[in-house]
Amino acid sequence: MIRNLLFDWGDTLMTVNYKVQLSRIYERTVIKMQYITEYGLPCLYSFIASIAFGIQFNIKLRHIVAAGAGGVVCQFVYMLIALNGASEALACFFGAVTISLYSEILARRLRVPVNMYLVIGIIPLVPGSYIYNTMIVLVNGDIDAFLRQFTDTMAIAGAIAMGVFAVSSVIRLLNLKNKRKSYTR
Amino acid sequence: MNSNDLLAVVTSIGSMLIEYGAEIYRVEETIYRIAESYGYSSGGKSVEVFAIPASLIITVDGGNGFPLTRTKRILSRGTNLDRVDKINNLSRFICAEKPEKNEILNNIEKIKQRHIYSYPVQVISYAVVGATFALFFGGNYRDALVAGVIAVFIRFVETLVAKIRPSIFFQCVLCSLMTASIAVIVSRLGFTDGFDKVIIGASMTMVPGVILTNCMRDFIAGDFLAGLYTLTEALIVAVGMAVGAAIGIAVFTKMF
Repeated sequence: MIRNLLFDWGDTLMTVNYKVQLSRIYERTVIKMQYITEYGLPCLYSFIASIAFGIQFNIKLRHIVAAGAGGVVCQFVYMLIALNGASEALACFFGAVTISLYSEILARRLRVPVNMYLVIGIIPLVPGSYIYNTMIVLVNGDIDAFLRQFTDTMAIAGAIAMGVFAVSSVIRLLNLKNKRKSYTR
Repeated sequence: MNSNDLLAVVTSIGSMLIEYGAEIYRVEETIYRIAESYGYSSGGKSVEVFAIPASLIITVDGGNGFPLTRTKRILSRGTNLDRVDKINNLSRFICAEKPEKNEILNNIEKIKQRHIYSYPVQVISYAVVGATFALFFGGNYRDALVAGVIAVFIRFVETLVAKIRPSIFFQCVLCSLMTASIAVIVSRLGFTDGFDKVIIGASMTMVPGVILTNCMRDFIAGDFLAGLYTLTEALIVAVGMAVGAAIGIAVFTKMF
């Protein structure tokens, strides 16, 4: 997406005829608006949903907003990868890595439990439509489609877990190093 | 502080942490740290903790040949991450200041009284979650409206059902069945185009988010038993939601 945008603008600016230039700028603006609805709206929805979820978990409002912002970043990374042709599981993996890094760093800075940030940011990654489709094809009795959907769902869930695992394990390793005393484990 | 007082303080702090949705390694580490700050890590004195999401076992050995053990069964767990944060701060305060037992118990009582959001705000937050997730998964504004209303119903049913303390599976089946039946009926009445986005959006309010993240973090920390416990719980919630929605869709699409 970014590469396309750069090329487009470069082309536009190199054209001498200003009418063509204007019409192209108009076209590009329309395309940019499309990017905004394609990328911006899900980010907005996930932000609002994150805030509401934080209220359910009884988290203070300033932490909810910070965590929701992390969720938006994570959602953007996820969509950048998913909408440019990579598999859903890979996109979820990098989304989970992003939110995991964000929450580990920010929560340690602010000295609050890490899962307070992680739990909010990771909610938009939950593959709700995949789980639903799995259930629907099972109700319809289509076993082949069920197995395919189930494998997809499991792959996505596993990818999210792996993303969190990867970041948290590394940070835990770094953390154990500068702990002043080791406990029983 | 003698070992009896320490045991009382540490047990109530640990059980509160588990009940409010903290990870197990946080519970164990908090208890070890508090005990250590009172000198229970050397000179024949020691503390042993074993915690899983269903129970807490603590042994305090005061070095006099009579170790004390207390177990605490945890029957219901909720999610109140603000209180977890406050208990975290309290344990930091205990480690730094080493206060007396009464002061700690006063602080614990204060934390138990904390409420951030009132019940109406929570109900509204359910509606917002349902509506925005219906939009997020590609529904239109009518889908969002219906999903928001259903999410409010889910909240009411959850509070009603929680009073008779059924299994979590039953609760999920009931909520999910209600969601699916209302969504199918509304779509058959012609208000929404399909029922799938409504069901997905409204069901997202039941996603066990804290349980899932705690499960992952427990596995990372090496608490495999606790991780398995929470993983099982999350799977049972997921299966319950699927069963409820499946029954609702299968029955009500045939009926209407």
